[in-house]
Amino acid sequence: MAELKVNGKKVTVDADETTPLLWVLREDLGLTGTKYGCGIAQCGTCTVHIDGQPVRSCTYPVGALSGEEEITTIEGLSEDGSHPVQQAWVEMDIPQCGYCQPGMIMAVAGLLNNTPDPTDEDIDQQVTNICRCGTLARVRKGIHLAKTKKA
Amino acid sequence: MTRLKDPRAPKSPAMSRRGFLVSTAGTTVAFSFLAACSPGSGEAESDGEATSAPDVTYEPIKWFTIDSAGIVTINIIRAEMGQHVGTALARILADELEADWADVRINHVDSDPKWGLMVTGGSWSVWQTFPLYSQAGAAGRQALIEAGAAKMGVAPGDCSARAGEVICGDQKVSYGELVAGGIEKTFTEEEIGSIAIKPASERRLIGEPVQARDIAGKVDGTAMFGIDAKVDGMVYARPVMPPTRHGSKVNSIDDSAATEIKGYRQAIAIDDPSGTTSGWVLAIADTYPAAIKAADAIKVDWTPGPGADVSEEDILDRARTLISDDSAGSILDTGDVETAAAFEAAAQTIDQTYTCNTVLHMQLEPVNALAVMNGDTMEIHTGNQWQSLVLPWLSQALDMPEEKIVLKTYRLGGGFGRRLNGDYAVPAAIAAKQLGKPVKMVLTREDDSLLDSPRSPAVQRVRLAADGEGKVTGMEQHVAAGWPTKAMAPFFMPNGVNGAPFDPFAINGANHWYAVGPHRVRAIENTLANETFRPGWLRSVGPGFTNWALESFMDEAAHALGKDPVEFRLSLLTGEGRNAGSAPNSVGGARRQHEVVRRAAEKAGWGSELPADTGLGIATSFGQERDMPTWVACVARVKVDRDSGQVTAEKLTLVADAGTVVDPDGAMAQMEGASLWGLSMALHEGTAFEKGRVKDVNLNTYSPLRFGQAPELDISFVDSTEVPVGLGEPATTVVAPAIANAIYDAVGVRLRHIPIRADAVKAALG
Ligand code: FES
Ligand code: FES
Repeated sequence: MAELKVNGKKVTVDADETTPLLWVLREDLGLTGTKYGCGIAQCGTCTVHIDGQPVRSCTYPVGALSGEEEITTIEGLSEDGSHPVQQAWVEMDIPQCGYCQPGMIMAVAGLLNNTPDPTDEDIDQQVTNICRCGTLARVRKGIHLAKTKKA
Repeated sequence: MTRLKDPRAPKSPAMSRRGFLVSTAGTTVAFSFLAACSPGSGEAESDGEATSAPDVTYEPIKWFTIDSAGIVTINIIRAEMGQHVGTALARILADELEADWADVRINHVDSDPKWGLMVTGGSWSVWQTFPLYSQAGAAGRQALIEAGAAKMGVAPGDCSARAGEVICGDQKVSYGELVAGGIEKTFTEEEIGSIAIKPASERRLIGEPVQARDIAGKVDGTAMFGIDAKVDGMVYARPVMPPTRHGSKVNSIDDSAATEIKGYRQAIAIDDPSGTTSGWVLAIADTYPAAIKAADAIKVDWTPGPGADVSEEDILDRARTLISDDSAGSILDTGDVETAAAFEAAAQTIDQTYTCNTVLHMQLEPVNALAVMNGDTMEIHTGNQWQSLVLPWLSQALDMPEEKIVLKTYRLGGGFGRRLNGDYAVPAAIAAKQLGKPVKMVLTREDDSLLDSPRSPAVQRVRLAADGEGKVTGMEQHVAAGWPTKAMAPFFMPNGVNGAPFDPFAINGANHWYAVGPHRVRAIENTLANETFRPGWLRSVGPGFTNWALESFMDEAAHALGKDPVEFRLSLLTGEGRNAGSAPNSVGGARRQHEVVRRAAEKAGWGSELPADTGLGIATSFGQERDMPTWVACVARVKVDRDSGQVTAEKLTLVADAGTVVDPDGAMAQMEGASLWGLSMALHEGTAFEKGRVKDVNLNTYSPLRFGQAPELDISFVDSTEVPVGLGEPATTVVAPAIANAIYDAVGVRLRHIPIRADAVKAALG
């Protein structure tokens, strides 16, 4: 049993302590917006926020959470898709297959939490997600657009 | 050249009610698509419930319906995998129909024989659909104009249609109203074949900017991929991967260690009469993390099949042996194929060999399938690019007629050709039938890599003969690689001029548009590759390697003959004889390739001064098939670090002539993605077979392009109203040779193997 606070709601889940947060979100809580890509913290598709910081949920055991942390998934990033990053993503038609994008958006939102006006170097260092469809060039432009937008 | 043809006769359409769609949607399946198709997204999947159902629906032909509220629902049989295919195809039909774009809905259909051949790949979607959807839309417009004219009491010839209304002078009537009044006229496929479409100058949607309809759900987490499918009562499965792709046999299973795992249920061996899989064991559990752990804990004793000891070098060696045997393989029809005399008489010959390693798809969503027996029907919820290919395999594996197997449509977390091969659906379906309950099988990233149908390693020898003046008098390209089409769809293999069959998807690209005199193109199956693994179609397939060799070679030839690489290419792209092109698909022929080469060179500043160790390289391509050429040229600018051998791609300048561009932003995105994929295969990714398996199975050691490695992209299209051709792949094929040629320009060393690793560059620099 673990207590968690996800997208502002307290929930209790019956999961083994070692279970990665990713599967608890997807299976126990039905929050399938967070995706599985590699399971070893390499691709970033599973990125969520813990207290506003981007975290790769595929290697984050639920047992490491106290229940007090605010966990935010793509479903909870905004109520209506109006987070600046989401707005920029729609405006620039960034997603192709879209599979990496929840993680990409959460990584970028996390970047902007920490570095509201990132340079290209900041982006290279902090957004290490993989996109197989090749949206990277647009993502970079999208980040520069998102930082000018308000929620 | 083969083309995928619809083998089934079209059926007559009839008036239908939306209730029909609802009744076929599978009522016992608890999962609903509602979240994925909120009304604002405008893009529904296979359900009819998403929109409120007006009483009357008019279906002029099976491809679309109009209801009494004026909503036009366009049926899309192509898979959505990032190319915004629904948006592009719907625009074609809506334009001719003179529909109001705001009233258009997109319906991705489930597999059903009535749709004919369902395949998404080969950059075919827009090219194949354009004539059909244009004429279907035009037919609908014609029927609505007739109905409108009758209602207004005027002659049809005095009416026009625009934005969902039939107009005559100052009278008008909406499509919805006409449908409510009842329209009887329907069309067969044959009938629409003779319907004239609008002149290009009257297009209103095609070529105009548009917001893709599938974007909203992809930024808020609601888009449903196969991996997100769920039904009540399902169990999870993960395979214990057998030691070889083919012919493994399970001797015994020991799951004692797995029984400790909470949620573990059982291990089952999969008996697959279709031979799609062999030696599979599935760990079954209540949750996926439990299935992951259990599969790791289960011990299986196998007798491996062929290839258990095979290495990458063995496969490449087999290719070299086959190439040196003149009797091996199939000779393509390239006009004059007799080159011997030209080489005998040549004042100069150039002869080089190019190789490439195995590459994986690594689409980010690992393959998966949820199989559910629903009464006497097997429903498979999965992302798939070629429904018509996997249905016969499933039928054989399950001993069920194809009509009783339905593939439910989901978004694909990357296709890139991986999901043309629906092999992963088979073991899930067998397990669901065997267990009598829904089974959701998901492969881990590692499993996915082991099951992948990778792009085969390839060896190619290219030769050219020239006379005393440096004029090209003959050319040959010999290509040995694994043959995906032989492994999975042998019915698509044509014969060469020597009567031997060949896999077009493993040789396309070599039959180029340069005027070189006699030209011999030989396709050779690398038998060891096909014995060891199931070679796959991977984004651009054959041209991904044939063009690597061809365009690297053309650069070498230019230098050897003392010519500028751009000038040399232009001088051979004369557009004469068999390279003149023909209507409808290749009007203009090699002259259009000439033009993209010229433009790309000009845009990239060909011939200008560059900093030290920086170079420009050019390469060009006609895309996927001679029958539907997409003309592309790329100039790469690279910088080489002499100490480390590190190559930095600074900029790619691409020019494409794809005929009419239907969805400009989507087309641009395809070019961006394809060129970055090409760059990734040129410099970053590649693996090798070791003991019959690929050695890199996850993203810690398999290393596709990442953020800091993406160069500046300058991509443009030639304005054209010619037939629209494909864009998903052609840009992939020009990048690797452009990079290698740029490295030569920068530091004077020639790399003939991809991926080009820093240590190889360093070694070449000495
Ligand atoms: S799934 Fe977590 S980083 Fe790839
Ligand atoms: S959009 Fe497909 S992987 Fe990024």
